[in-house]
Amino acid sequence: MNESLRMVVVLAVIAMVSAGILSMVYGTTSVIIEENQARALESSVFEVLPGTTRVEILRRNPDELGVDDPREMREEEQKTTLIYQGLDDQDRILGYAFVGEANGYGGVIRVLVGVAEDTDAILSIKVLSHTETPGLGDRIEGEDFRGRFVGKTTADPIKVAQDIDGLSGATVSSTAVADAVRESFIEVSALYRGGE
Amino acid sequence: MVLWKDFVRGLWDENPTFRLVIGLCPTLAVTTSAVNGLSMGLATAFVLICSSALISILKRIIPDKVRIPAYIIVIATFVTIVDLVMHAYMPDLHSVLGLFIPLIVVNCIVLGRAEAFASKNSVMRSAVDGLGMGLGFTWALTLLGAIRELLGSGSLFGYSFVADGASTLGIMTLPPGGFITLGILMAVMNMISDRLKKKAS
Amino acid sequence: MTLFTILLSALLVNNFVLVRFLGICPFMGVSKDVDSAIGMGLATTFVMVVAAAVTWLIQWFILEPLGLPFLQTLSFILVIAAMVQLVEMFLHKTSPALYRAMGIFLPLITTNCAILGFAIMGVQNSYSFIENVVFGLGAGLGFTLALVLMAGIREDLRFADIPKPLRGVGIAFIIAGLLSLAFGGFAGLV
Repeated sequence: MNESLRMVVVLAVIAMVSAGILSMVYGTTSVIIEENQARALESSVFEVLPGTTRVEILRRNPDELGVDDPREMREEEQKTTLIYQGLDDQDRILGYAFVGEANGYGGVIRVLVGVAEDTDAILSIKVLSHTETPGLGDRIEGEDFRGRFVGKTTADPIKVAQDIDGLSGATVSSTAVADAVRESFIEVSALYRGGE
Repeated sequence: MVLWKDFVRGLWDENPTFRLVIGLCPTLAVTTSAVNGLSMGLATAFVLICSSALISILKRIIPDKVRIPAYIIVIATFVTIVDLVMHAYMPDLHSVLGLFIPLIVVNCIVLGRAEAFASKNSVMRSAVDGLGMGLGFTWALTLLGAIRELLGSGSLFGYSFVADGASTLGIMTLPPGGFITLGILMAVMNMISDRLKKKAS
Repeated sequence: MTLFTILLSALLVNNFVLVRFLGICPFMGVSKDVDSAIGMGLATTFVMVVAAAVTWLIQWFILEPLGLPFLQTLSFILVIAAMVQLVEMFLHKTSPALYRAMGIFLPLITTNCAILGFAIMGVQNSYSFIENVVFGLGAGLGFTLALVLMAGIREDLRFADIPKPLRGVGIAFIIAGLLSLAFGGFAGLV
């Protein structure tokens, strides 16, 4: 056989076998990965909406707010387009939670915001993921900083240097969290309130 | 006997971290705790054993000119498998090691062993060589992680030794601590092997 | 996030070598004299900028639409390896002077984890095309900066009286630690 032809054939065969094996592994693991992620988010919802025993998922969609199976959605889509409704053991709606994103100092910061059904004010927020500097920007995870958002409603500005005290030495991170909270809050609140 | 020699070579004489000084990025980046170091080491060892064995099997089939791309494909396949499996079954660990799992592909140890050893030796010897190198890498990472965790967070394998709120050398878990710890460890390893050589002679 | 912030962040604040621990192998291997440090740094920067463009196109026009995210690692590393080859051939043909200066470093670049690392990071940050290229430029220049600083210090180190076990890589790591500590001062800059 021609030598250069042989090179191409061998490489192509190796690449094809490898792609085949990987798609098989991906097929089995992706289901588990998505389930894990959905479960992790659900348990975070329990945290930001105290008293919740059951979570129902609504889709953040301009047209309709319907119950949806997150497993059918792509991972990225899942993180930002769902609204989680927290219900207590008597099936009363306690509040709703949603994910907001903004670019911080080292990358994307993702926060989960929990809002009370009755007062429409923030109950608590949780930083889901970030890549901020250890020792400085990562203080956005702390209870002290997260507490500064409690009780805010869409009527508040929710801006650093206005009604939120930024962390000294971590202005970019603080601003990003405030932006993520504010923007997602306004968007979701309009949908959620309008959709009822 | 040959197999035994192949195995121990990676543990000390040609230890990837302390002797060959390769594969340094994960060595420094993930060793903020002993557990992280251990898991990263084992993940790399798995890739090393599998890719060394497979490359040794394929060594006659792969034309010489395209061997590097072919090795890279084989290695990248195993790395992606590790990445996916870890993501599915060990999500917490996966999020800590993060970027450094896919980066096993460019870990010079893996490609280096494929080129220098697996492409010339039998399957069995290549796998054993991979095992030795992998474990050599693992113990180096675990040791580094343990030192940094002990000084930086006052704990070892997650068990805390200091009272809550006691101040620890936080810098040890940050990047500068990683560099400095590894530098000092290198010096200690050099001293030990100098002593051993003197004793032998 | 403005382009300038991305550049500054990749260059200084999150310096690839000293803060993110990417590209340590060439950082230790090719930092013995300033001239080769500059050559290696610029060659890497060049490949990074090109890789930023190519990997961005692959991710958002091939892998995402076809639902093949699991082939990311495989395709990125192959593309980087192929690109390094092309750059090498291109330089060889067009600019022999540049080839002589950078040529020996090019094969080393394939296994520089800073390149694969920054390509994957660019995807994770979902940068736009322009942002990704700027990110690549910042990462490359940051790598060059760290490499040249290190080489400058190591050149002077030849005359220092270092305890025997620390000689070679040992002292280099400790210097890198001090440099990394200094770069910690950039935190909060942006």
